[in-house]
Amino acid sequence: MMIFHKAIPRRTFLRGLGAAIALPWLDSMVPAFAAQSDVAAQSPLRLGFVYVPNGIIRETWLPATAGAQFEATPVLNEWTPFRDQMIVLSGMDGGPQFVGGHVRGSSMWLTGAEPKQSMNDVHSGVSVDQVVARQFGKDTQLESLELCIENAAELAGQSAGGYSAAYTNTIAWRTPTLPLPMEHRPRAVFERLFGDGDSTDPAARIARLRKQRSILDFVSQDVSRVMAGLGQSDQGKLTEFLESIRGVETRVQKAEAQASKELPQVERPIGIPEYEEHVKLLFDLLHLAYQTDLTRVSTFMLAREYSELVYTQIGHTEPHHPLTHHRGIPVRMKQAGEVNQYHAKLFAYFLDKMKSTQEAGGSLLDHSMLIYGAGMGDADIHNQWNLPIAFFGGANGQVKGGRHIQSPKGTPLSNLHVAVLELAGIPTEKFGLSNGKIDLRASA
Amino acid sequence: MGIAGIAMLAAGLVVGWTTPALAQGQEAQQPASSPPGAPAEYKAVFTRYCFTCHNDRLKTADLILSEANVDNPSATGAVWEKVVGKLRGRWMPPMGMPRPDDATYEALLKYLVAELDSAAVAHPNPGRTATAHRLNRAEYTNAVRDLLAINVDTEPLLPADDSGGFDNFGDLLTVSPSLMEKYISAAGRISRLAVGDTTLSADVANYTISPLLLQNDRMNEDLPFGSRGGTSVEHYFPLDGDYVLKVRLQRTDNEGYVVGIAEPHLLDFRLDGERVKLFRVGGDHRGRSQGAGAADAVPPDYREAEYERNADAGLEVRFPAKAGQRLIQVSFLQEDFAPETPFEFRSGGTYEETRLEDTKERAWVDPAVSSITLTGPFDVQGAGDTPSRKKIFLCRPSGSSDEPSCARRILSSLARSAYRRPVTNDDVAPLLALYEKGRGESGNFESGIQMAVEGLLVSTEFLFRIERDPANLPPDTAYPVSDLELASRLSFFLWSSIPDDELLTLAEQGKLRQPAVLERQVQRMFRDPRAQALVDNFTGQWLFLRNVPDAHPNRDVFAEFDESLRESFVQETKLFLRSIFREDRSVLDLLRADYTYLNERLALHYGIDGVYGNKFRRVQLADENRHGLLGQGGILTITALANRTSPVARGKWVLENLLASPPPPPPANIPPLREKADDGKVLSMRQQMEMHRASPACAVCHTRMDPIGFALENFDAVGKWRTTDVGIPIDASGVTPDGSKFEGPDGLRQALLSRPELLVNAAAAKLLTYALGRPIEYYDAPAVRKIMREAAPSEYRWSSIVLGIVNSTPFQMRRSKSL
Repeated sequence: MMIFHKAIPRRTFLRGLGAAIALPWLDSMVPAFAAQSDVAAQSPLRLGFVYVPNGIIRETWLPATAGAQFEATPVLNEWTPFRDQMIVLSGMDGGPQFVGGHVRGSSMWLTGAEPKQSMNDVHSGVSVDQVVARQFGKDTQLESLELCIENAAELAGQSAGGYSAAYTNTIAWRTPTLPLPMEHRPRAVFERLFGDGDSTDPAARIARLRKQRSILDFVSQDVSRVMAGLGQSDQGKLTEFLESIRGVETRVQKAEAQASKELPQVERPIGIPEYEEHVKLLFDLLHLAYQTDLTRVSTFMLAREYSELVYTQIGHTEPHHPLTHHRGIPVRMKQAGEVNQYHAKLFAYFLDKMKSTQEAGGSLLDHSMLIYGAGMGDADIHNQWNLPIAFFGGANGQVKGGRHIQSPKGTPLSNLHVAVLELAGIPTEKFGLSNGKIDLRASA
Repeated sequence: MGIAGIAMLAAGLVVGWTTPALAQGQEAQQPASSPPGAPAEYKAVFTRYCFTCHNDRLKTADLILSEANVDNPSATGAVWEKVVGKLRGRWMPPMGMPRPDDATYEALLKYLVAELDSAAVAHPNPGRTATAHRLNRAEYTNAVRDLLAINVDTEPLLPADDSGGFDNFGDLLTVSPSLMEKYISAAGRISRLAVGDTTLSADVANYTISPLLLQNDRMNEDLPFGSRGGTSVEHYFPLDGDYVLKVRLQRTDNEGYVVGIAEPHLLDFRLDGERVKLFRVGGDHRGRSQGAGAADAVPPDYREAEYERNADAGLEVRFPAKAGQRLIQVSFLQEDFAPETPFEFRSGGTYEETRLEDTKERAWVDPAVSSITLTGPFDVQGAGDTPSRKKIFLCRPSGSSDEPSCARRILSSLARSAYRRPVTNDDVAPLLALYEKGRGESGNFESGIQMAVEGLLVSTEFLFRIERDPANLPPDTAYPVSDLELASRLSFFLWSSIPDDELLTLAEQGKLRQPAVLERQVQRMFRDPRAQALVDNFTGQWLFLRNVPDAHPNRDVFAEFDESLRESFVQETKLFLRSIFREDRSVLDLLRADYTYLNERLALHYGIDGVYGNKFRRVQLADENRHGLLGQGGILTITALANRTSPVARGKWVLENLLASPPPPPPANIPPLREKADDGKVLSMRQQMEMHRASPACAVCHTRMDPIGFALENFDAVGKWRTTDVGIPIDASGVTPDGSKFEGPDGLRQALLSRPELLVNAAAAKLLTYALGRPIEYYDAPAVRKIMREAAPSEYRWSSIVLGIVNSTPFQMRRSKSL
């Protein structure tokens, strides 16, 4: 601790926040710095969720056999090299009612909370990644990274059915009323990780950070002044603003602690490439963020729920969403399944990077919990039953892979989240719709 | 059609208060007074026609009319406003059930509306806009433009905002740490560009052109006459200095061979119209072309392959440029001016796809630009003399002793615009502190100003529109917003931006509420070029036009659909809507306009002769089926599926957007359409839908949606005219809820125009929603009716609708917070 006090002068901008908010914030500094020195001892645990839209054709992914002898299906085939670190999970439901729909598929996936039908505001639940991010984020520059491919918020008229488009554009919810926007631009992701310079040069980064502190100091004083002029009950949005400023301040502080760290030489990406390159580039950046411990939590939508992307690169001419309303027609099911396989293959690209990166105590994959899947069980009829889910990674030796866990019919997906929280060291009695816990432990 | 035409239409139809409004002119300015007839009689009508379903036992659609008080409708306004909507559109009772005669419909409407409207006058309920309303991306962009005189492309800097129909709803504009980071980062970048920070490092900007955009003609008005292909972009050069332009040409998809380089071509690069360099490309090597050549089993010619891969390597030039926004023009010189031949579509793909795939031909077609990249600045000469610097640096300190006073002057002026209000010393002091910090750290006056501008761009009152309840006001009380708040409401409504000096000054002087002053300001602002924001942001979202760039027609079915056609769709509707607003036309012209904007490509698509070249021009439409929005390809495409039309989607679009009567969301477990009958015969889209509709559960909504969509079946899924569907003649006949029949697109338009109040109501309600930045509620309905009444004498001109909105209760007032 002494070393850090010397290395990082007491930050002046703290004072600008006023006593009421400075205190809890100061608390969070302590574990942050303590953790820095602990990192060398044991590699930290990472968590990642990768979402695919419009369900996965069941025949394409679900093995009939439970246990270690499950047979490979076309989707699972793409993950053969990682079979011993994979748990196929079936039988879990995303929601209780038959009426699923796209909105509930994506919004309930990590929250287990019913989305509010309203054009005026949004209400869901805190997503499991964000519960973990609040904890893990104390030790990293970024609490979490939210990634996507489609610039979905650009589309008008998506809010049909009386729901805000936020429900299908993100799976990460900071609070029940704050959906986290997902970033699709590789350049912006790069800048979040490494700052908006062209290089990862420490001196330039520190100078930039110092300037950011002055700006943050100014704006936190500024918002406090404006809030003082408003009634206590009328400050909702500005409280959100102030909390966001605090979030950035924390990030700046972490960045300062890490500015002296050696970072891999990476070029700032320019533009947005075609789908496949785009996905791989974001996986590259995510991998880098995990590797350099800039964040430990991520969510990634390979396309927004409801996605109408056309996968011309695998010879398709029809968008994904209508294909999944296949009405049982074999050729349409086959094409929808091809999309599922294609997504799985891209995810294998990421798994391979995670597996082949070594750090203290094993590979990055050994130290991860990566959950891949969809929010719809049968997209053709919009239900949320028997969702396709697969778990990857060793969770720092806590989990044993190479098996298919078949849960009894009607098991809530939230039971998996309870298990994930426990593995993350955040024991939780109940999350979302949970009524128990999936046992992923090595002993099982 | 003039006013006489409207009156003629109105005479035949008689609906609610609209008829008196149209027929009696001035009297319509007042809320209609209660007609003779006792509430007991109205109650009897409701009992007879409505209570069968809407009673406390069945609770159909959660509407219990039997318990709502007919004697005093305003006591349950939410219920009765719903009833007004259903009666006005004649949506209820459902088709097939007994319904009252038209005179009874009207008498009920007249009574309910009079009651509800007079209650609204007596007890105005303006609703409550968000206290802190974050600027959305479009507003932020425009505010930066008007504050600092700089056009910044914020798309790479900020995420798009979530939408609840419009993306300016205060309650949906949330703030997260990651968004905050982006604001901070954007503020840094924008302030450095605007001030002209000479330490800016070189950056790279890349502009790409879709390979499916035809480059066979002069591409736009900004390119020289006699040019072919290429592109023009407005690029911001941050500093005086050197920049490098690099042009990349189109290549074949798989092998990456540059297309069209067997013969030499001349590529012209101009900056603001002045030629910088004329490149010669192609024709330097004439070996055997590669690629699919391998399949021809001939030995490869490696030197030719090398050349074909790198033929555009030399298209690079370093040139000096002055700081500011400049036009970059890159195009080929047209080699000959042979008369244009209509392009031919080949099987299995578009013209462009064929061109890129057919390796045998690729060397001989015309080359096309794929992207241009600009890197710089290098060898910076200085900050230059940009509009931004002129706007920011109101004064120049002659020595260090002048600096503080000059900084104060600069920052006071900027803060007033940014905060949209007069500023005090307390407002300027924190900005001056930032200035000191920037000044001290670098020892430079300008970098001090830059740092203060950076702070200004993330300050609370710049990023948020804040509306404050007056002190000591009881909860839930209607009050007029302040003049300054009204000025911001006006500018964000009409310009999606901050007030300008004239508007702000009037608000500061307390003059904005004088009716003549306010009307003059509205007229001025509506005519200002900044009002283009209404076309881009309001109509773009109201009519879903923002979806045209994301439409995915299936190319196996619609080989003619390519980027040129898509681009033309966007342009057509944009220019059309711009003319509707610029010329201050009637709302009804959205449907009845007998003109549109076409280029050759689109005219060909529509089957219209005599339009040549890429340039868009106004064209009179002889075919009435093409009149108005319902004849425009973009709208017909976004309301279709990839491979076929969707009468449902088109019907829904019309109901939701033009009639403000959206159908409820579809239920789960929708049985699929059947493409074939039991006997195996292929069914037309209409036949499939009619089988689907045979199910009573489906019929409820589909009897409303489908007839509208059927009438448009003559337009295929990319808006091309057709007379058959899978070989079966199109049946484009339909029937409205009140039983009148219509046929084809023109028939549908006439049917819609025969009830103009429905379209005007939808337009006014949508525009009011957008103006307020919140969804409208039942208590806003009287305001919408007042707006319509007041706009009727001018034949529903947009400016009168806009003025009505500005004068309306919800726009002028706000309700204090509830307990």
